[in-house]
Amino acid sequence: MYNLLVILFAKVLNFFANILCKILHKNNGNLLGKIVKKLSPDILKSIKIDCPVIAVTATNGKTTTNNAIRYMLEQNGKKVVSNSEGNNMETGIITTLIKACTLTGKIKADFVTFEVDESYVPVVFKKIPLSTLVVLDFFRDQLDRNGEVESLILKINEFLKTYDGNLVLNNDDPNVARLGRANENNKNVYYFSVDKYKYATEKEVEAGEGKFCPFDKTRLEYEYYQYSHIGKFKCPKCGYGEENLFAEIKDVDLEQRTFKENGITYKTLANNIYTVYNYAAVISVAKLYKLDAKEALKTFKLDNGRAENIEVNGCETIINLAKNPTGANVSLRTLNEDPEEKELLFVLNDKAADGHDVSWIWDINFEVKNVTRIVTAGTRAYDMAIRIKTSGFDADKIEPYLDLKEAVQALYRTKTKKYVIANYTALQPTRKEIFQLGTVLK
Amino acid sequence: MKELKLLYLYPDMLELYGDYGNIQVLKYRLEKRGINLIIDKYSIGDDAPDFASYDIVFAGGGADNEQSILSKDLIKYKDSIKDAVEKGVFFLLICGAYQLFGKYYKGVEGNIIPGLEVFNYYTVAEPDRKKRCIGNIVLSVDLNKFKNRSQTNNGVNKSFENNNEENSNLEKSIKAETNKFETEVIGFENHGGQTFDIESPFGKVLYGNGNKFGDTEEGYFKQNVIATYLHGPLLAKNPKISDYIISYCLERKYNEKIEIEKLDDSFEEKCREQLLEKFLKEKM
Ligand SMILES: [Zn+2]
Repeated sequence: MYNLLVILFAKVLNFFANILCKILHKNNGNLLGKIVKKLSPDILKSIKIDCPVIAVTATNGKTTTNNAIRYMLEQNGKKVVSNSEGNNMETGIITTLIKACTLTGKIKADFVTFEVDESYVPVVFKKIPLSTLVVLDFFRDQLDRNGEVESLILKINEFLKTYDGNLVLNNDDPNVARLGRANENNKNVYYFSVDKYKYATEKEVEAGEGKFCPFDKTRLEYEYYQYSHIGKFKCPKCGYGEENLFAEIKDVDLEQRTFKENGITYKTLANNIYTVYNYAAVISVAKLYKLDAKEALKTFKLDNGRAENIEVNGCETIINLAKNPTGANVSLRTLNEDPEEKELLFVLNDKAADGHDVSWIWDINFEVKNVTRIVTAGTRAYDMAIRIKTSGFDADKIEPYLDLKEAVQALYRTKTKKYVIANYTALQPTRKEIFQLGTVLK
Repeated sequence: MKELKLLYLYPDMLELYGDYGNIQVLKYRLEKRGINLIIDKYSIGDDAPDFASYDIVFAGGGADNEQSILSKDLIKYKDSIKDAVEKGVFFLLICGAYQLFGKYYKGVEGNIIPGLEVFNYYTVAEPDRKKRCIGNIVLSVDLNKFKNRSQTNNGVNKSFENNNEENSNLEKSIKAETNKFETEVIGFENHGGQTFDIESPFGKVLYGNGNKFGDTEEGYFKQNVIATYLHGPLLAKNPKISDYIISYCLERKYNEKIEIEKLDDSFEEKCREQLLEKFLKEKM
C-alpha cells in the first residue's frame, strides 16, 4: 500500500516537474528516481510489468544496441517503454518506469527495453522480472583501472547462476561467452558471432582483456582478431570458444555497408565492425521474438556522437565518442579503413565523469593512415599531443589547444575531411562548437 | 649505431595502467638520437631471461589476481635479478612491480605474498578495499642524488654538465647541476598497498599521497633503480627522468662520456606548466 502511495506521489511530482522543466527548458534527469528510491528503496518490485523485459549490458555499445532494439520493435508495430543513455543505473530505471506507468503502477506496453550499467544488472533484476539479457562486451574502462573488470564479470556470473531466461551472448568475446556456463540448467542461451572481416588481424593490435581461459587459466589461441580482444578464440585445453551459433553474421562489407545473416542481406548505415556486432545482437533479439530486423536496420540512424556523420560548411565530418581505449581504437580503425585524406581532432578531458587518470590514452594504437594533421583539445590537450607525437606522428603536424573554440576553428581552417574523437564530458561541448561554426547538414 | 637492450617483464599481465607507454617514450627519445632500442619480452612459460645481459629491465602494474600468479614465477629468478641489480642494470619498476621487488606484500586477508627481497621495503594492503591512494601526484626529485665529487670528473653524470662550466669552480658547478637536476615529477597514483621501510625515496611529495596515505615521500631510488607508484605513464610528462635513464644506460654500456642531444620538448614543457599550476594551486 505504501509503495502505491509512493508511485502516486511520484506521478504527481513528475507532472509538476515536467511543467517546471518545460518552463525552464531543462531536463530533470534521474532526480525523480532518486527521490522515489529514498522514499521506497524497493519501489521497482511494486511496478507491474506484464510484457517481456529486454536488457542490454556491456562496456561499449549499450546505448546504440538498446536504441536499435527499441527502434526494431517499434518498426514491428510494438509499443515500447525504454530508458535512454545516462539513465542506466537503478535511479534512471526507476525514473523511466515511474514516468511510463499508470497511477496504479502498471506498465502498459508490448516490450520494455533497458540499457543497464554493468554493475547494476544484479541489483535491478532482483527487483523486476527479466526475459532477455543481452551481453555485448567487457572492456577496461578508464574509470576502473584496478582490475575491476573481472570482479564485474563475476558479479554478473553470480546473478546468472539462478537466471533461466533468454541470454544473448557475444560468442567472440571470451569474457562474455563464459557467462553461458553460469547456469548449466538454462536452456535459453543464444550465441551470436560475426565472421572474419576485411581488416581482421592475426595478432592483437589493440589492448584487450581476453588472454586466459576463464575455466582453466590456459592462454587462449586466436585464429583472428576483429578488434581489441574480440575475435575467433579457442582454449587449447578445454575447447572453450566453440558454441553453437544462433545468429552468425557473414560477408561483412563496410564500404557497401552490408552483411548477411542466414541468407538474408542487411543494408545498414553502419560503417564499422563494432556496430555490426551491436546489430548482430539486435538480429538475435528479433529472431527470438520472431520479428523482422532487416527493414529497421536499413533506416536506424546512429547519432549523438556515435559515428555521427555530418557536413560542416561543406566539409565532411565524422564524430565519435571514445570513453576508453577500445572506443578510441575502434574509431581510429574506421578512420584507417577510409582511404581518403583526412584530419583528426581528439578532445580529451579529465573531469570526474571521465576519470582523472588519462594514462589510458597510451593503450590507444595511434598508427594512423592518410592523416595530414591532428588537432588536440580538452583539459588534457597536451597529454594527447605528447601521446600522438610519441607514436611517431610528425610533431610539426600536431596542434594542441586548451581552448576548444580555438581548436575547432583551427580544425576547419582547411577543407580536408574531418574525424572527431571526444571522450565523455568533451563530446557535447565539442559538438556544440562544431555546430556553431556554420551550416550543418545531417 | 649505438643500441640499448630492454627486457619487458610480463607484458600480458602487468599492463593495467598504460605503463607500456614508458617503453614507447624511451624508444622515441632514443631513436630521435639515432640510438636503437631492442625490446625483448618475457612472460610465464618463456625461457629464462639473462637479466644481466640487458641495459634496462622494465615491469609495470597489474591486477591483484595476476600479480599473485606471476610473483611465483618471478621468484625463480631472485638470484639472477639481484645479480643484475648489483651489476648496474637499470631497473624501472612501476606500482605492482615496485611492490614485488620488496620483502613481501601482505594482502587484505593477512596472506603474505613473498617478494624478491632485492630491496628491504615491504608493502601492506589497506584493509578497506575501497580505500586507495588515487589521484594526480607531484613529486620533487633530485636526480643528482647519487652523484659525489669523485664522480663529477669521470662518472656517470658527466654528460649533464653546464655549458658555462669552464670558468666556474667545482662547487659552483655542482650547485648549478643540482638545480638542473631537481625536477618536479608529475604522475598518477592508484594503489591500495602502503609501502614501509624505504631507505632512499624517489621523491618528496608536493601533491598527492606517496608510499602511504598522506606520506611525504614516494617510491624508491638508487642510481640504477627507479621504483615508484607513478603511472601516467611516468616518463610521458617527465623527459628529465627519461634522459637520466638513457644517459645512465649509455654511459654504463659504452663506458664513455656521452652527450645526449637535446630534443624538442615543447609539448612536454607546456603540459608540465599547465598541470603544475593546476595541481599545486589546488593544494593551496
Ligand atoms: Zn579452457
